[in-house]
Amino acid sequence: MTKDFEQLSHTADVQLRVYGKDIEELFRNALRGMFYLVVPKLPTCKMVDDRIVCDEFTCERDLKVTSPDRDALLVDFLSDALYFFAVHKEVYLDVMFKTLTDTKLEATIRGVKHEGMQLEIKAVTYHDLHIKKIDGTWQTDIVFDI
Amino acid sequence: MQPTVITFEDLIKINDFLWEISKSFRPDMRVPARIYMTEKMFGDIRDDKSLVQLINVSTLPGIQKFALAMPDIHQGYGFPIGGVAATAVHEGGVISPGGIGYDINCGVRLLVSDLTVGEIKPRLDTLATALFNAVPSGVGRGGKVKLSAADMDKVLMQGAKRMVELGYGTEEDLEYCEESGCMPGANVDDVSDKAKKRGLDQLGTLGSGNHFLEVQVVDEIYDKAAAQAFGLFKGAVTVMIHCGSRGLGHQICTDHVRSMNAKMPDFGYQLPDRELVCAPVLSPEGESYFAAMVGGSNFAWANRHLIGHWVRETWKKVIGPDAELTTVYDVSHNIGKRETHMIDARPVELLVHRKGATRAFGPGLPEIPSKYKSVGQPVFIPGTMGTSSYILVGNNEGMEQSFGTSCHGAGRRMSRSKAKKLVRGSELRKELESRGIIIRCDSSAGLAEEAPIAYKDVDIVVNVVTGAKLADKVARVKPLAVIKGG
Repeated sequence: MTKDFEQLSHTADVQLRVYGKDIEELFRNALRGMFYLVVPKLPTCKMVDDRIVCDEFTCERDLKVTSPDRDALLVDFLSDALYFFAVHKEVYLDVMFKTLTDTKLEATIRGVKHEGMQLEIKAVTYHDLHIKKIDGTWQTDIVFDI
Repeated sequence: MQPTVITFEDLIKINDFLWEISKSFRPDMRVPARIYMTEKMFGDIRDDKSLVQLINVSTLPGIQKFALAMPDIHQGYGFPIGGVAATAVHEGGVISPGGIGYDINCGVRLLVSDLTVGEIKPRLDTLATALFNAVPSGVGRGGKVKLSAADMDKVLMQGAKRMVELGYGTEEDLEYCEESGCMPGANVDDVSDKAKKRGLDQLGTLGSGNHFLEVQVVDEIYDKAAAQAFGLFKGAVTVMIHCGSRGLGHQICTDHVRSMNAKMPDFGYQLPDRELVCAPVLSPEGESYFAAMVGGSNFAWANRHLIGHWVRETWKKVIGPDAELTTVYDVSHNIGKRETHMIDARPVELLVHRKGATRAFGPGLPEIPSKYKSVGQPVFIPGTMGTSSYILVGNNEGMEQSFGTSCHGAGRRMSRSKAKKLVRGSELRKELESRGIIIRCDSSAGLAEEAPIAYKDVDIVVNVVTGAKLADKVARVKPLAVIKGG
């Protein structure tokens, strides 16, 4: 399996390292990684290699984000998804991009309805977040305030 | 290349409880960084990024005297938890939302019963269950009070005072609360609709993580006069409430970090960590964030006030209609305040960031309720569910050393995932119950994450605070029943 994300140790909060073959996949894996922390299992979907796989998505939300640069764009994208989760009680596991540049994205996030969570993420932080390409793979760390 | 590792040799000993990293350690430091700890405690933070984060804080424009770390310091994002930074408001000082945190005005409220542990104990089990049912806790749990948009604006402006108007709690609860539960300076237009929406059903909820409600017994008195002023006596039963501004506060911080981030090129600051994003206190962005943060703080005070009301209501139902629960005080440990302190023998208006740190004002100050004025402001230091918590009091030395600030808890020393690997929630529950501590928590994983082993020794942390004379010990409490979300 290609590495998508992994959890790193952090004293008080939660830190993920996210990978992607391109920026789209990096953003998608960051979204999936964030919701993996929040809801590691869903009763309506199956698990494959410790990841949730849903046969179909039952809800969609459109996002438009403009940010000063790519790192900020990722934080703002995830923050908006977290907001939708908080108010609509939906878990997002995929994203379709209409536009994705260094400073702008237009996308539809897709997922399923779900009440409750294992972990409450308060926020996505900029701390130690630097999107970079290492040995042909895009990656970044993300610290979530919990 | 900036140093990323700080060794013990980089620290200069000021005294047994205070260490300094000099301003020359890194060229971008504006002031020295100071850490309150013992030599032995260095081991807890040696391998994480706490001290690098503290050095980063020392680079904030307008910072005065020192970037300070309390003995419960641990790694955060931007600021370390346990970090304190004061910037000069009228001399280009900045306000940094990350220096206050996403859980705006997370804090602690303490109530004391007129009954002793012997009188409560026979009904303690029933009481714990009743409190667990009365106060919504746990991840994503909404509350029993649903606010309308107009009500939300009133809560943001008036905080706990609005709760009293609606019939929850008493005027006396307001008197014994930092800022009387209603900090001036909020502006509802600076709080986004998103933030308001997230808060609509969250008033009166504990939340998850390290937030809790605890029934405790006073098992030691250190300062009789202060204890008497606070209504505490050996054997007295107390209730401690720890929570904050919930999703509303998280969204306020997220929104303002985002908007300040977009303005950073205009400010021209070179910051070592983007999470320290900031704006001059007196800029439109700084003032807008401050007004929103005050609104979030007022929401948090309304939240703890409402929980306090339900605790009291439940208490009377279980223990008896004449059983009293009096609010001792309510303190914030994630907040930014405009305060005047003496710098180089002159009064300077400062924006004091307390991120996982508690205001601890000494006696005589106008901010302290008249009943406590001669002794000082009460300070609460929650330990863990298996150890002690402390009630301290602010003093004059703390005013000079730390802008009147003390620590806020034991401080984590282990990640949540490591704690879960080492501790089984079910076994921890059994162990605590075998020691007579009642646990009401519907998540064993959540319990394991907050295991006492994951925290520093609160006795040592508090001994550093009192040894350094940042505050003085008044009383120690031990847990009888712990109610928490998962």
